[in-house]
Amino acid sequence: MRTKMTAPLLETQDLIKNYVIGGEMVHAVNGVSLRIDQGEFVAIMGASGSGKSTFMNMIGCLDVPTSGVLRLDGIDTRTLNSDELAEIRNRKIGFVFQQFNLLARTSALDNVAVPLIYAGVGPAERRQRAQARLEAMGLGNRLLNTPAKLSGGQQQRVAIARALVTNPLILLADEPTGALDTQTSLDIMGIFQKLNDEGITLVVVTHEPDIAEYAARRIVFRDGKVIEDAAVTSRRRAEPA
Amino acid sequence: MNGLLGTLAGWGVNVAIAFTALRTNLMRSILTTLGVMIGVFSVILAVAVGNGAQVSVTEQIATLGSNMAIVVPEPERANGPPRPGDRGRLTERDGEAIARQVPGVVAVAPQIRTSVQLVTGGRSASTQAVGSTEAFGSISNLGTSDGRFITKSDVGSAARVVVIGQTVADKLFVDVNPIGEKVRINRVPFTVIGLLESKGSNLGNDNDDQIVVPITTLRQRLSTATAQGPDDVTLLFVGFEDEDTLVAGDREIKSLLRARYRVSKGKITPFTVRTTKEIAETSGEVTQIFQAVLVAIASISLLVGGIGIMNIMLVSVTERTREIGLRMALGAKRSDIRNQFLVEAAVLCIIGGGIGLLLAMVAAAIFQQVADFPAPIGLDTALLAIAFSGVIGLVFGGYPAIRASRLSPIEALRSE
Repeated sequence: MRTKMTAPLLETQDLIKNYVIGGEMVHAVNGVSLRIDQGEFVAIMGASGSGKSTFMNMIGCLDVPTSGVLRLDGIDTRTLNSDELAEIRNRKIGFVFQQFNLLARTSALDNVAVPLIYAGVGPAERRQRAQARLEAMGLGNRLLNTPAKLSGGQQQRVAIARALVTNPLILLADEPTGALDTQTSLDIMGIFQKLNDEGITLVVVTHEPDIAEYAARRIVFRDGKVIEDAAVTSRRRAEPA
Repeated sequence: MNGLLGTLAGWGVNVAIAFTALRTNLMRSILTTLGVMIGVFSVILAVAVGNGAQVSVTEQIATLGSNMAIVVPEPERANGPPRPGDRGRLTERDGEAIARQVPGVVAVAPQIRTSVQLVTGGRSASTQAVGSTEAFGSISNLGTSDGRFITKSDVGSAARVVVIGQTVADKLFVDVNPIGEKVRINRVPFTVIGLLESKGSNLGNDNDDQIVVPITTLRQRLSTATAQGPDDVTLLFVGFEDEDTLVAGDREIKSLLRARYRVSKGKITPFTVRTTKEIAETSGEVTQIFQAVLVAIASISLLVGGIGIMNIMLVSVTERTREIGLRMALGAKRSDIRNQFLVEAAVLCIIGGGIGLLLAMVAAAIFQQVADFPAPIGLDTALLAIAFSGVIGLVFGGYPAIRASRLSPIEALRSE
């Protein structure tokens, strides 16, 4: 898949992120150069503190690099202001979080519609698009349920529907199975594989080697650097529930 | 066009988000709203009472009669009311001179006022007796609702007749038509010939608590402590043709009196001429100051309410930091987050303001019934109150909203 002659969707060169915590300099990401092309399914692995989440936050435009180059869809994101970054997050990136991060006391439908509000989409179209995404996730009969009335797996599927509702270029998932049991985790990975088959680019951060085996490419971080970057040899397939 | 619709839809969404957030912490929202509610309530009521005072004053001035001047033998004082020693002399002949020589004068009614005690059939009443002439009625718009007013012949013959006010009639006569009844005023027998037209009360001052007797009778039969000479009067009512002659009459009367009393140049005029026009103007100023003071005091409670809003919005921002982070991750711009919290504060304030307005209207109605004091709340006051509450929300919600919008997406998202 990497050999395809496509423009890189994401490209970093010597990306560095330093923090100062308690008067001490922490090199969270210390010179990462890599590219991710359209249609890839990447798993980013590493122990906690390896820099994988910081890297993820930077490519998700939630955090700004200290130095280096970060190009998303050909745009140097380091030159953008906060409003332009918000627009990139809205149009080009879909986020899936470990704790689902759904709005409490808000229906699945309204949760999925949130990104469309910020995209300036009118109420009728918001509803229609959110409903279509939820139905594609098999939640057509749960549209008006609030998160409290949904299982963990269902909540994560609502979150995936929300991440996809603006038709982003790339879906970023940070420990998407971290709060789920084994079977539900497999279901979620199955959904990701199906989405990838449909052409969606995915980057999944995980610390579980099993989960990483559902991806096509594995990047391992340690101490802020990439120590391994290779295709997954024994790739697993999961059938979505 | 699409952009505008999108913007409007965005605000609609913000209102919906605000209601959800406010419902989530219902008790807290209600308590916060209470501050604004009480603030708006007191400001509206202060405005209403101020308006009422103005209406009252206007009514009271109308009861004085239009185009009238009152002359009292006291010099005008720049600071404060006249002192007892200031009182000079003023006589009926001065009145006659004014009637003859000042242009535009229709009639002059001299007055002597004194406190009296009325007794009839075991009942008694203390009131103010006005000794005057038949002209008094026409100049000051004072008519009778029953019987008749004093006439020229009553004055000429010093008849022992009296026209009584409604309040006095109520005290002395129960189930009896007072007309033709005998009363003793300071032990002197009088006959009631008329009932004064009721003029109601203004600002606690009962216009119906007085009686009118011929000036001659009062002078001869009822002791008058104020009079120094045989034709001294307490004051003169001077009726003018129109407003123009009234305005000029002020100066004319003063210069005439200065000449009559040979007041040398440079000395102050020992008379005060107050026209109904001046009285209306000064009273208007006084009630406006009264209203401004009331509103200023009431505004303090509104300020406190606003600080309550700011406090609770800061708490809300802190509690919902993670939500803010999430919304930013999903594409919310800083301005979207700011507007969300601004709308929330404004909704809180407008609801509080609305309830405060309703309560103020109820209180004003009760006040009007119980205290017989008008406290009108106009549509303009109501709209102003609602708009003002919204502004309070924007002002006091502004800082928390801006703070929320300045959060870093990743730090907000990571917060617990």
